[in-house]
Amino acid sequence: MNKEILIIGGGIAGIQSALDLADMGIKVHLVEKLPSIGGKMAQLDKTFPTNDCAI
Amino acid sequence: MLDVGRHPNIELLSYSEVEKVEGRIGDLRVTVRRKARYVEEDKCTGCGTCTEKCPTAVPDAFNEGLGDRRAIYSYFAQGIPSTHTIDPDQCRQLKGKKCGICAKTCQAEAINFDQKDRIVEIDVAAIIVAVGYDVFDPSRIPEYRYREITNVVTAIEFERLLSASGPTVGHLDRPSDRAVEAQIEELEKKARKSQKVLGKLEERFGESSAEFHEKYQAGQYQGDQERQKWADKYAAHLSVMEPLEDLKKRAEGFTVAKRLAFIQCVGSRDFRFYPFCSGYCCMHSVKEAIIAHEHEPETRSTIFGMDIRAVGKGFEEYKIRGGDHSNITYVRGRVAEITEGANHNPVVTYEDTRERKVKSQEFDMVILATACAPTKGIIELAKVVGIELDQYNFVKTSPLSPVDSTTPGIFVCGCAESPMDVPESVAQASSAAERAAEIAIQPRPEMEHAVA
Amino acid sequence: MPEKRDEEIRIGVFICHCGSNIAGFLNMEELAEYAQTLPNVVFVQRNLYTCSEGGINEIKYGIKEQNLNRVVVASCTPRTHEPLFRISCAEAGLNPYLFEMVNIRDQCSWVHMQEQEDATTKAKVLIRMGVAKAALLEPQEPIISEVQTRALVIGGGLAGMTASLALAHRGYEVVLIEKESNLGGMLNQINKLGPTMTDAEELAERKIKAVSEHPNITIFTKSVITDVQGFIGKYQVDVETESGVKKIDIGVIVVATGGRTFVPEGLYGYDGRRVITQIEMESHLREGLDQDIKNVVMIQCVGSRNEERSYCSRICCQTAVKNAILIREQNPDARVSILYRDMQMYGVENEEMFRDSKAKGIRYINYDPAQPPKVDSKKVKVFHSLLGRNLELPADLVVLSTPLIAQEGAEVISQLLRVPIDENGFFLEGHVKLKPLDFATDGVFLCGSARFPANIRETVAQGLGSASRASIPLSKGSVVVEPIISVLADEEACRGCGLCVELCPYSALEIQHTEKGRKVHVIDVACKGCGICAATCYQHALSINSFTDEQIEAQLEAFLGSSVVS
Repeated sequence: MNKEILIIGGGIAGIQSALDLADMGIKVHLVEKLPSIGGKMAQLDKTFPTNDCAI
Repeated sequence: MLDVGRHPNIELLSYSEVEKVEGRIGDLRVTVRRKARYVEEDKCTGCGTCTEKCPTAVPDAFNEGLGDRRAIYSYFAQGIPSTHTIDPDQCRQLKGKKCGICAKTCQAEAINFDQKDRIVEIDVAAIIVAVGYDVFDPSRIPEYRYREITNVVTAIEFERLLSASGPTVGHLDRPSDRAVEAQIEELEKKARKSQKVLGKLEERFGESSAEFHEKYQAGQYQGDQERQKWADKYAAHLSVMEPLEDLKKRAEGFTVAKRLAFIQCVGSRDFRFYPFCSGYCCMHSVKEAIIAHEHEPETRSTIFGMDIRAVGKGFEEYKIRGGDHSNITYVRGRVAEITEGANHNPVVTYEDTRERKVKSQEFDMVILATACAPTKGIIELAKVVGIELDQYNFVKTSPLSPVDSTTPGIFVCGCAESPMDVPESVAQASSAAERAAEIAIQPRPEMEHAVA
Repeated sequence: MPEKRDEEIRIGVFICHCGSNIAGFLNMEELAEYAQTLPNVVFVQRNLYTCSEGGINEIKYGIKEQNLNRVVVASCTPRTHEPLFRISCAEAGLNPYLFEMVNIRDQCSWVHMQEQEDATTKAKVLIRMGVAKAALLEPQEPIISEVQTRALVIGGGLAGMTASLALAHRGYEVVLIEKESNLGGMLNQINKLGPTMTDAEELAERKIKAVSEHPNITIFTKSVITDVQGFIGKYQVDVETESGVKKIDIGVIVVATGGRTFVPEGLYGYDGRRVITQIEMESHLREGLDQDIKNVVMIQCVGSRNEERSYCSRICCQTAVKNAILIREQNPDARVSILYRDMQMYGVENEEMFRDSKAKGIRYINYDPAQPPKVDSKKVKVFHSLLGRNLELPADLVVLSTPLIAQEGAEVISQLLRVPIDENGFFLEGHVKLKPLDFATDGVFLCGSARFPANIRETVAQGLGSASRASIPLSKGSVVVEPIISVLADEEACRGCGLCVELCPYSALEIQHTEKGRKVHVIDVACKGCGICAATCYQHALSINSFTDEQIEAQLEAFLGSSVVS
């Protein structure tokens, strides 16, 4: 059994860390202080330099 | 985001905070407070019926206070989890008043006003700190008059105004105009109410309020108490209608904001606040100017900055394209002051350092590219987790081990480490995952470290 | 062509109220009654929330008790809920690909709130289409392919060595190939690394030692890849080494080929002696600067941010500032001026070094690219755009800051690996925001200046990050792919024209020479089921599982069949 990991913060950085670890088969606990994850990036309309949607 | 919600290896503890960390690398015990949502997570389906019926309006933090949400809410429409939350500071029921409408409308029976905070303990091998940053509060810069001049907004507020899911459904309505429109709406509500009362009286006495009032003023109906009341009501109605008509006339002239100024280094590269460069703000402004121009082709934007830092892949090209195709002018200089001109137009005073002249220019709106400030809670969290911060309160690392904190087993990524843009945050997040995995993988191979 | 089915088709339709999200706007009773009348439908159920435990149990009950062999859920978006419903079908013993979802919330109740009658009619049509398709669905099995737990890292610079060490440390075998005779890459040309002024040689030695001594890492220097066959988990790579060609089985590949400095032939009198580049400055500093050098002028953006090379190379300003500080350390009397357009000292550390350099007496002079500086013998003339006048700066040494450009041979590697490069010749990642270290093609990853110029901190972070990404398939030991992929449904029809191969964004198609001639072959684990190939094939030879022509035609017929619904 692998040991588990705690991630504090559910923005784009925390989400990416969580997904990488979880995909490796490692159990992750993702703590977010707000009611939903997404962080600042979820507030963005589009992103540079391709004008892609943020969500 | 969605993948996190349904990944079997991820336990999502939203609306929660870390309170205590004990132990050492490979063997850490973490205490997490799961704040009461007053909504049962396993029952709530996120349908949103409760929100529609909730009578209490609250400024919406997700929309930077530019719109309203309800006391029971989902943080944003696509939020994960979709579980709703009751804001205990705003909810009438939780403040001891009579309400409970949400509980009555919730068909999933998910509302639980008696829910309490829960404390959970988790054993982990390592911790990744990814707490991000705060937007610098530009009201600390008196000469920019943020909050005094309504049409001066922050870049993140502007982002919400540009967004189709934001409070203006993507129209660049100026905050001063929106304030007038909100006033009109309020007065119209009042006018409708008083009109209703007058309507009843008109029906009863068989004449219009205006006709009646003329006669009343001419001295008829003296001593008639009922008609006296009617006259008072009519006067009150007029006191609503007159300003309403004025405001409506003013609102006729409203158009979307077309002359935009973007001010760089608001709080960054500034010895009074943060001497560092926040890295992403120049490109953020270029993007906002390009999108604003996409929304309204007559938009003209001026970006005021000392250096325009377009250092990422495709960034310089994007900046040039903004100038060539999206009416963006780049002015080298630091804005000295923003004042309010006619029609709530912000006036920007600056030195054009290439022409060596002090100039003033009027705009419809000014957007402040605010600094990436260390997040408020980081000092407390650093104590709880046991890591050192740098002089600005970012998590301390070194260039050769860019995601290792000063404590073994505690890693950091994204803007908690230092200001950076999205692809760098994502790359760093994977690095932190790599470092954490090295500790979590069992049995642990006894081999060289990747990091010096 | 699929075989004709003998079994009786028994479809169950589950219609979700989504609280009031759907039921508040559509006539649910009418929908349910209508669904009952559709061909092959034997069971209709309305749920308050189909996704709740109660709703899921009803689906399971339907499959078990009503012998349903197809399930249609009319509710919200498959983006959020299809996985749940598929798993629920599987738990009740039904192949999860015999499930079809109809979105009557986003596409009906939400967008047509004001037209409730029309919205109900539209929901009926959508359900009818879903039922028509469901009748033709075929069971599918997930595709599982083994992964060879060995990584290939191309490039032995700091990025490649960092990625190799990380993967090796996690217990995976690594093959590290380097085209030069020594590992170390650009570190071998650098004096000190900013902003901490770490000795580059020492760092290179330490890393090379760690990599060389690591039992999990096999190093081939003076080697290049000459052929790559296969796909994620199962690559066969030919490596041309000094002792001949080696064929190696590989699971994942990390591209860490770095960049190289642009040589400014013909610009500002570049001669490699008195007018040099920053990388040449590094060796001067390493050897110790000539004490006669009293006046140094640096010029930024030489060969970049221009017509020919429009990008900003990100790291040249930091390099110039760092070297300017080091010049002053070695020759404290030297005057150093940096002629710049924008000082790209982004972030915390760079800006700090920038401020520090000003305190140490480095002069900064802003120039306009329309009036570039002129280098004469012994002096540099420049129009100071902020002072508004011409300056003449004495110069014993002129240092040109030239960009990092794409690595030699990057194009060849991109062709061998079938991954794209951008207009500047750098490798093009899967998504500039969200997948900086992945390619669109599964199994190939990238890091460091092969992607875009990166400083030390960024290179180490990306090296570690690419190891994380590459370790995911390695740690699983196999790749599991959703079977909604392209298949060569009609082999006869395929003429082997290769149009689909050209268009596939994931390198999932190849032409094979078979007994029947040239035929396309789908590499199923690489296919993402995007459908470009099937839509392109004018012979209709390719088909997408669960989106076959037959199924889509049935949906269209159901849509057009009766435009009047009541």
